[in-house]
Amino acid sequence: MSAEKCLAKGSAAPGPVPKGYIRVYSMRFCPFAQRARLVLKAKGIKHEIINVHLADKPEWYLKKNPFGIVPTLETPAGEVIYESPITCEYLDEVYPEKQLLPSSPFAKAQQRMMLEYFSKMIGYFYRILSGRKNGQDVSGLEAELKEKLSKLNEDLVNKKTKFFGGDSITMIDYMMWPWFERLEVFELQHCLDGTPELKMWTERMLEDPAVKATIHSIDAHKAFFKSYVEGKPDYDYGL
Amino acid sequence: MSAEKCLAKGSAAPGPVPKDYIRVYSMRFCPFAQRTRLVLKAKGIKYETINVHLKEKPEWYLKKNSFGLVPALETPAGEVIYESAITCEYLDEVYPEKKLLPSSPFAKAQQKMMLEHFSKVIPYFYKIPMDRKKGEDVSGLEAELKEKFAKLNEDLVNKKTKFFGGDSITMIDYMMWPWFERVEAYQVKQFLDGNPELKKWTELMLQDSAVKATMFSPDAHKAFFKTFLDGNPDFDYGL
Repeated sequence: MSAEKCLAKGSAAPGPVPKGYIRVYSMRFCPFAQRARLVLKAKGIKHEIINVHLADKPEWYLKKNPFGIVPTLETPAGEVIYESPITCEYLDEVYPEKQLLPSSPFAKAQQRMMLEYFSKMIGYFYRILSGRKNGQDVSGLEAELKEKLSKLNEDLVNKKTKFFGGDSITMIDYMMWPWFERLEVFELQHCLDGTPELKMWTERMLEDPAVKATIHSIDAHKAFFKSYVEGKPDYDYGL
Repeated sequence: MSAEKCLAKGSAAPGPVPKDYIRVYSMRFCPFAQRTRLVLKAKGIKYETINVHLKEKPEWYLKKNSFGLVPALETPAGEVIYESAITCEYLDEVYPEKKLLPSSPFAKAQQKMMLEHFSKVIPYFYKIPMDRKKGEDVSGLEAELKEKFAKLNEDLVNKKTKFFGGDSITMIDYMMWPWFERVEAYQVKQFLDGNPELKKWTELMLQDSAVKATMFSPDAHKAFFKTFLDGNPDFDYGL
């Protein structure tokens, strides 16, 4: 995990990426950026992390990625890749050790379809959070989220596997993990009641070395999240 | 192009996919399904088309694809793949002739990033005619779409290539084409003015054999789109 404070507007642009390394522009608490960091760790890729101030973005960063979001990868050749699934697939293709995506086109398509399904779930997390913030009744949204989580649970039951792509961790597990890491912070932990296989999956994930290397404690997540909800995200919390 | 009327609720489930074929579940006027049909044609893949009634979806279709959307692919082994981008990548991976995606991981990532950018443009094509029909002021949306077309044009200018991935058609051109085929129906054709490279690209695309094999005339699109906006889409228009 990077101990570096984030770079904001007015900061000097970082130099080129050193040979033999790949750089990831990140934010320590961002779940999307955590996907890329999980893949980098899982595959043992030599990388450096530059944290970016997402509320006060450096101009040099917007030149590299006009969307201005994280994660973004940069190679020594200056090639820039962004959007979390695109960065993860790129890493798996360029670095052949410990392939995280299956090789068969259909199994790969299945992982992509699962990711698409999960992407629709991510929306629920955020809508519930902003709904609560606005004092709205989110019980309907929570019920829908619970239903989607049951479908994931059913998937594990049907497959009879420890992880979503088989008995070892594969790409899809890493792509979904960051939101499960934050369930308690989002006060949605109870949505896992009634999904025992999914609960066991989270316990197995917590034992994975890449997860352990990129995880934050519940308290750190809670502190960051509080600052985020209050409109003044403390990207450097804990440093 | 399939001359088959769409199958609705209550219809008998089709049999298995014949050996050596792949099946695409489609709707004749759907731009997303056209992506898959373009790739099938461009790569010379042997396939059969089954059109699905998207308002009265057959129960057997919802069993194959719980999202119930088109396109979806089905193999002789009964494997189902859905989401237009996933179907297109799958086809390019399984059928090695006439590769549409570049082989370098970075060039592949660039195509995926372009697709992500274009995904943000697609909603404008619908929102503008729909809001206009409701009598709302669409000038703001139109200005934004004009800007997006200008960015696409700039991309071609910077690259100095005929198509978005080089001087031959590649995947990204097919992924974007269907919406440009419909500019007249969406009443946004005039925004191509002032974007000469983009206009030239549309003219080049119209000469492509896969485009010619899957396209409908502007009048046919207008007629279908009118029924769509009126809430009673005539999926079999012209048959």
